[in-house]
Amino acid sequence: MASIATSFEIDNTIEIPGRRAPLVTGNQTLGSVTEMVSSVAERPQPKIWYIAFAISFSMMVMFFSLIAYLIYMGVGIWGNMSPVFWAWPIVNFVFWVGIAHAGTLISAVLFLFRQNWRTSINRAAEAMTIFAVVCAGIFPGIHVGRAWLAFWLTPYPSLNLWMWPQFRSPLLWDVFAVSTYASVSLMFWYMGMIPDLATYRDRSKTKLRRLIYGILCLGWTGSTRHWMRYEKAYTILAALATPLVLSVHTVVSFDFAVSQLPGWHTTIFPPYFVAGAIFSGFAMVITLLVPVRKIYGLEHLITMRHLENMNKIILVTGSLVGLAYATEFFMAWYSFNGFESYTFINRAFGPYWWAYWIMVSCNVICPQLFWFKKLRTSPVLMVIISIFVNIGMWFERFVITVTSLSRDFLPSSWGYFRPTIFDMLMLAGSFGLFMTLFLLFCRFLPTIAMAEVKGVMSAHAHAEAHLAGDHGQHHH
Amino acid sequence: MSEHHEKKDRSRPPQSQGWIAEYVDEHGLLEAARKVREAGYTKTDAFTPYPVHGIDHALGIRPTVLPFIVLVGGFTGLGTALLMQYWMNAVDYPYLISGKPLGSWPAFIPVTFELTVLFSAITTFLGSILLNRLPKYSNPVFTSPRFDRATDDRFFLYVDSSDRYFNKNSVQNLLSSTNPESLEEVMEDASSTVIPRAVWLSVLLLLVIASIPMAIILKMRNSNSPSPRWHVFFDMDFQPKKKPQQISTLFADGRAMRSPVLGTVARGQWEGNDAFYLGYDPAKLAAHAGRDRSRFVGASLAAAMQDPVGAPALGQPPTPDEEKSPESAIPAGSNVPAKSETSDEMDESSNAAEKPSDEPSPGDEATDGKVMVEETQTANDAASPSSGEPANPSQDGAALASAVPTLPFVTNIPMEIDAQVMELGKKKFEIYCSVCHGVGGDGDGLVARRAEEIAQSYWLPPTSLHADAVRSQPVGQVFYTISNGKGKMAGYGAVLTPKERWAVVLYVKALQRSRNASESDVPLEMQSKLSQSK
Repeated sequence: MASIATSFEIDNTIEIPGRRAPLVTGNQTLGSVTEMVSSVAERPQPKIWYIAFAISFSMMVMFFSLIAYLIYMGVGIWGNMSPVFWAWPIVNFVFWVGIAHAGTLISAVLFLFRQNWRTSINRAAEAMTIFAVVCAGIFPGIHVGRAWLAFWLTPYPSLNLWMWPQFRSPLLWDVFAVSTYASVSLMFWYMGMIPDLATYRDRSKTKLRRLIYGILCLGWTGSTRHWMRYEKAYTILAALATPLVLSVHTVVSFDFAVSQLPGWHTTIFPPYFVAGAIFSGFAMVITLLVPVRKIYGLEHLITMRHLENMNKIILVTGSLVGLAYATEFFMAWYSFNGFESYTFINRAFGPYWWAYWIMVSCNVICPQLFWFKKLRTSPVLMVIISIFVNIGMWFERFVITVTSLSRDFLPSSWGYFRPTIFDMLMLAGSFGLFMTLFLLFCRFLPTIAMAEVKGVMSAHAHAEAHLAGDHGQHHH
Repeated sequence: MSEHHEKKDRSRPPQSQGWIAEYVDEHGLLEAARKVREAGYTKTDAFTPYPVHGIDHALGIRPTVLPFIVLVGGFTGLGTALLMQYWMNAVDYPYLISGKPLGSWPAFIPVTFELTVLFSAITTFLGSILLNRLPKYSNPVFTSPRFDRATDDRFFLYVDSSDRYFNKNSVQNLLSSTNPESLEEVMEDASSTVIPRAVWLSVLLLLVIASIPMAIILKMRNSNSPSPRWHVFFDMDFQPKKKPQQISTLFADGRAMRSPVLGTVARGQWEGNDAFYLGYDPAKLAAHAGRDRSRFVGASLAAAMQDPVGAPALGQPPTPDEEKSPESAIPAGSNVPAKSETSDEMDESSNAAEKPSDEPSPGDEATDGKVMVEETQTANDAASPSSGEPANPSQDGAALASAVPTLPFVTNIPMEIDAQVMELGKKKFEIYCSVCHGVGGDGDGLVARRAEEIAQSYWLPPTSLHADAVRSQPVGQVFYTISNGKGKMAGYGAVLTPKERWAVVLYVKALQRSRNASESDVPLEMQSKLSQSK
């Protein structure tokens, strides 16, 4: 028994028949979990945090300055030009919304499937969801041209317009889907954080900290009655968020699929977009969490097994995305539709061939490396692959949006899209905003769901006891 | 638990609220909880760092009603979304798009789904917090420093003093028998509940400051001011361009509005100065120059703005013919006397359709195949309100209305006509005119019927082409109306070539005549059939 336990301690990615791999390693106790997670926010931040924050913060300032400049000058500073009016702003929007999906998937879908390993990573992934939705929401908001009138999208009784939004438009569905998603994700995230904020409150050394965390955690005591309603509420929220997360990218794909443009007008888009969203989201979780666990010494909580599981999901969704690419080509040929087949031949061999092949190599070929256990358990390699996946997923949206728009039915209106420096700086700036928010999150909020990890540790101990035939004295 | 206690009295010492025992693991807690429950205590609670499996059973806590509240919230979202979309898009502001039904339920599904989820989630979130009576920042259990570990790694069991069987000694004994790590009496939270003045003053100040912009906006929106609107965003209100009546420093005459360069014609605006393009005789118009010339030029310009294609070329403004009475406006060459009886006119014109009567030579038809449709011309019918009087010069539309009937409209279609022209006219009429005027010209086209069906208040029904006022119009006037539009009808000069417009005129005249035909109009070989069927 001891030798097996030891081998799990060394490598918890191995499979031992009749045993469950531990979810956390290092013989953790309840107190040590609290200590490890709380120290992330309590101890002075490492030097690298300040360096990263300085870079991200400057990029964020640049982003908001550019938005101010855009509002002052107009959208003409972008490369958007007839016929490609939906250029980088919409590419960036879909990219960030896609990233957001992993958080909800990990926290809601894996929760409903009783995948207990989610507990170590769900908080950071949910935070990532919120921050990605923030980045995503900005782009269509400033893309509308007169950004100060973006509130016209909401159905409010206007005394100036005397009219209501058009509810048959996918763009309006998008407004509802993304804002619902942002709201529900925020509630889910905050709800999950309440017990951990109480832990932070109770560990506070200063009065101010105690006051702020005390207000944030609403006076949480850990009462059993509270826990019961809390757990029920959490389950319901997970059950609500699961179809929601599938619907959001479905609706985003409707923006394209409901139009008549070859390359957009296809029924495969909803599942294809959702698979891509999960794919890119998990890649972003890997990109962020591998450095975080290293920097803050959380290797015993975010174990190699967690990373390996995520890499397996990346492998599956990456293959799904590859299948979707192949299906699109098959349908272009099988439908016998000249416009459709032209569009796809043009994608792969037309003026944007480079974007298409970047997309295929990053999204389809790259994740296939995860078939090898050596590769999917190597932190450095998985970060590199996950970055490639994110590059590939950005290009996927670029390929869908730009290649289809630049060559529609009328050859006289064909064009070639060229981004301007503002396009590029604003994409970079959105990463600055995202990273700033994430770094602040690490600095001030519980990065790992302590209460959930503790609950899972207890459940694991029960299960282990049962498996070992040890129906101990605490059995009831 | 402590909610049941009476209001605190500051003068007395803090009261005991109950007893709390601390355990190092969940098993200790579970066993103690079972013991306490077996002893009959019900006002109990446990405080744990994570939800302990089985503790609810051990303490006898009933399941929460939250799911049912969420169900209600979800249905509220569902109903709100469906009603909102239907009311907004089908009732209050109907969107007619490609003839799709106003209540397009399939298109309403995505928003309905999202709002159902949103309402349910908000209900879940707020419901769970409110059912837990949170936020609650003052709690007796917080008075013990040991309790800080309830969110870390310790498990607490609490028996409230309001319990029916509560007895200080027996509870203490019972809890000590469960081997707790510590056992304490929980005292009332004696700290002051008054919010410090600095806090509420600063909150108040913040609220006041925050409401200032909103108050300014509200005031500005609900009051009048002689000074121009204050622009936060300029939108496109100020552009570096000149408007028609503004002064320009670029040109010697200082006018921002430029007339076309002499001797040029704008693209698409060239039309021969000819009745074929105009519907009236420009030479006659020029001959009738009157004293209201300037007013008429203004009206023509307004017409030109409305539809530059069909309007007279700007370089050659037509001369006015205002003061002419209907009779005097008859073209000089017409040898047909003016008649006021429409039925007679129709008889006349029906005859004219058979044989050319405008041209004195009866051999014309045979010699060059030219058939001239002749119309008796009463330029102003009795219904026209502005027949002889000058129109109100303050209104361009009225000026135009008065100017139009006085134009010397041609009474013959100035081109060769044959069965092919009639076919062309029928085709174009059915494409462009019948949607409003109806296939038969009765003013009952599909658009008109649809507008009537949904009772559009601003809908002006199209004119029936069989109304006397229309039937009495000379062909030139019908042509002019088709080219330039009239009232709410747009001009079709841009979509129909002059030849097509004349063809439509011919077809309209044929339609009109078909309603007023006599037996003698029927060809001889068909007349016998007609009498047979009688």
